[in-house]
Amino acid sequence: MVEVLSEPVGGGSYEGSLLEVDDLHVEFRTRAGVAKAVNGVTYSVGAGETLAVLGESGSGKSVTAQTIMGILDMPPGKITGGEIRFRGVDLLKLPEDQRRKIRGEGISMVFQDALSALNPVFPVGWQIAEMFRVHRGASRSDAKKKAIELMDRVRIPAAKDRVNDFPHQFSGGMRQRIMIAMAIALDPEILIADEPTTALDVTVQAQIMGLLADLQRERNMGLILITHDLGVVADVADKIAVMYGGRIVENAPVHDLYRSPAHPYSKGLLESIPRVDMKGQELYAIKGLPPNLLEMPSGCAFHPRCPYRRDNCVTDVPPLYPISGTRGSACHYWREVLDDGSR
Amino acid sequence: MGRYTIRRLLQLIPVLLGTTFLINYMVWQLPGDPFAGRCGQRPCPDAYVNAMRAQFGLDQPVLVQYWNFLKNMLTGNLGVDFNQVPVATSLADAWPITIRLAILAVAIEAVIGIGAGVLSGLKRGGVIDNAVTLSTLVLLSLPVFVTGFLLQWLLGVQLQIVNPTVSDEATVSELLVPAFVLASLNMAFTARLTRTSIVENLRADYVRTAIAKGLTNRRVVGVHLLRNSLIPVLTFLGTEVGGLMAGAIITEGIFNIHGIGGLLYRAIINQDFTIVVPVAALLVLVYLITNLLVDLLYGVLDPRIRYE
Ligand SMILES: Nc1ncnc2c1ncn2[C@@H]1O[C@H](COP(=O)(O)OP(=O)(O)OP(=O)(O)O)[C@@H](O)[C@H]1O
Ligand code: SF4
Ligand SMILES: [Mg+2]
Repeated sequence: MVEVLSEPVGGGSYEGSLLEVDDLHVEFRTRAGVAKAVNGVTYSVGAGETLAVLGESGSGKSVTAQTIMGILDMPPGKITGGEIRFRGVDLLKLPEDQRRKIRGEGISMVFQDALSALNPVFPVGWQIAEMFRVHRGASRSDAKKKAIELMDRVRIPAAKDRVNDFPHQFSGGMRQRIMIAMAIALDPEILIADEPTTALDVTVQAQIMGLLADLQRERNMGLILITHDLGVVADVADKIAVMYGGRIVENAPVHDLYRSPAHPYSKGLLESIPRVDMKGQELYAIKGLPPNLLEMPSGCAFHPRCPYRRDNCVTDVPPLYPISGTRGSACHYWREVLDDGSR
Repeated sequence: MGRYTIRRLLQLIPVLLGTTFLINYMVWQLPGDPFAGRCGQRPCPDAYVNAMRAQFGLDQPVLVQYWNFLKNMLTGNLGVDFNQVPVATSLADAWPITIRLAILAVAIEAVIGIGAGVLSGLKRGGVIDNAVTLSTLVLLSLPVFVTGFLLQWLLGVQLQIVNPTVSDEATVSELLVPAFVLASLNMAFTARLTRTSIVENLRADYVRTAIAKGLTNRRVVGVHLLRNSLIPVLTFLGTEVGGLMAGAIITEGIFNIHGIGGLLYRAIINQDFTIVVPVAALLVLVYLITNLLVDLLYGVLDPRIRYE
């Protein structure tokens, strides 16, 4: 077995991080069978740090985030292993009432589709103010004042006049700002943003990313930015975790990964970003389909689609090989991939 | 919303004119002479029939009859019935009883129906859910008069917990069982509708957001989930108030309640149209007004609804 080569990168090198996901396993028990959505995810994020989580649709990015928040649908979901440590305490072992206090106060989340994530029948100001009323016992008027301040902070024009409007009366970008205002209301230490800009126009996307980056710096939050768009993360992220089939296949400081990916899948992702200097050339796309979670491929889950594949890839599961103290790749042939560099 | 309300109120006028004309035309033109059968075994003498026809204006053209009806309704002059009793007096006696019965029935529908629906929707497949599914199935498959006679026999005759019939005062406690019977179908449907709505909304993204905000389970369900889930349920309850009035005819007949339903019930048997027509017209009016109120309520409950 190749595993003897080294022990996987993970908890060790990120020791003491604010939030540590450690070897997390989640599966969904459905009529069709057991879907292994998360198979040993390990990542961490510290105060003031931005981690971008990247991967195709269905790779388990959202399920991991939902497990951190404690909003996983159970059943059909089931956590079958691992730890999620927040300030060193395993959240998965906490009783529900303690867990609840961490939501919003310690860890907050911004969802993809703000229109459906906001409650349609309550005014937006009320929904933001609810954070202060429930967690801090603030009075109605104080909470409303704070809600207006937050709406100002996320740059909603004429916040004072719009505090009593309903979600459907705002544009997509404004709704996402309200979602963000609600998430940062109690000054959480960790903010998880699950594809916060996917539902928006390109110009608005940039504004929202800018706002998130500003807020993160200003409040020294740890930010987990989930996306399947490698293009947006270069400017904001410190490090990247690339997911495939419910596993982390590569983690790296953002510039290292951009310069020279160490996993064939990350390399494929990089090569599928449109670039100015590649104008006119055909865009590379990773061939094949995402893995079937009910019946994962043997060995390396990426092997059916991998241009670097050798015989042992079909039988041996690659561990997350450490490349440096801050970098790892779950590929037996990471050296070869690294040496090839990006296009 | 003000302009919308005014427009809707104006729309009521042609609808009311049309329906009341139809009611008038149909009942008075029914085959069979309403006066011929009023003298026991023998047919009534021609002189009596003619006198009655003249008194109630049946010798005039249909449109003139309708015009007179409208004039009388608008001036509040409802005239006398075939027994020369003022119609207004009968109505004034009967309305409060039916309104009491209807309010009780709506309260039963809302409290029991919504309560059972919420409990079964929150714990799908649990004991309560199965019990609710079964009992609503039974209620929905039984016609109201069967439920009525059954409860009357069981509670009134066999167990003697209540009086089998309702006295002239028709107190609230006397009306409880009849109101339950009147409410039974809608209550069962309300429970099912609530359950479906709860189950659907439980999966909604905003519920997930509410949990992620760190709210207590009680608040997630009691404020966020319920407020959304009850929109279709309250709308249903409102729309069905008109139907409830019609259902009161059967229930009041079974329990011998002297409300509008009972009045109508007896008037139809006696072919006394002087009572049938204004009562039917009033029921139409109630139906139209509650519908308008429901439409307005819908806009209050769901801010996404816009009235143009
Ligand atoms: N409630 C659920 N019931 C059953 N399966 C689920 C559920 N939620 C997620 N899954 C499955 O888990 C797998 C991972 O889903 P996840 O939402 O984490 O993907 P993702 O990486 O966030 O993708 P996307 O980019 O589309 O958001 C998917 O195959 C999905 O079908
Ligand atoms: S382990 Fe093998 S199949 Fe998997 S990514 Fe590396 S080379 Fe490709
Ligand atoms: Mg997702």
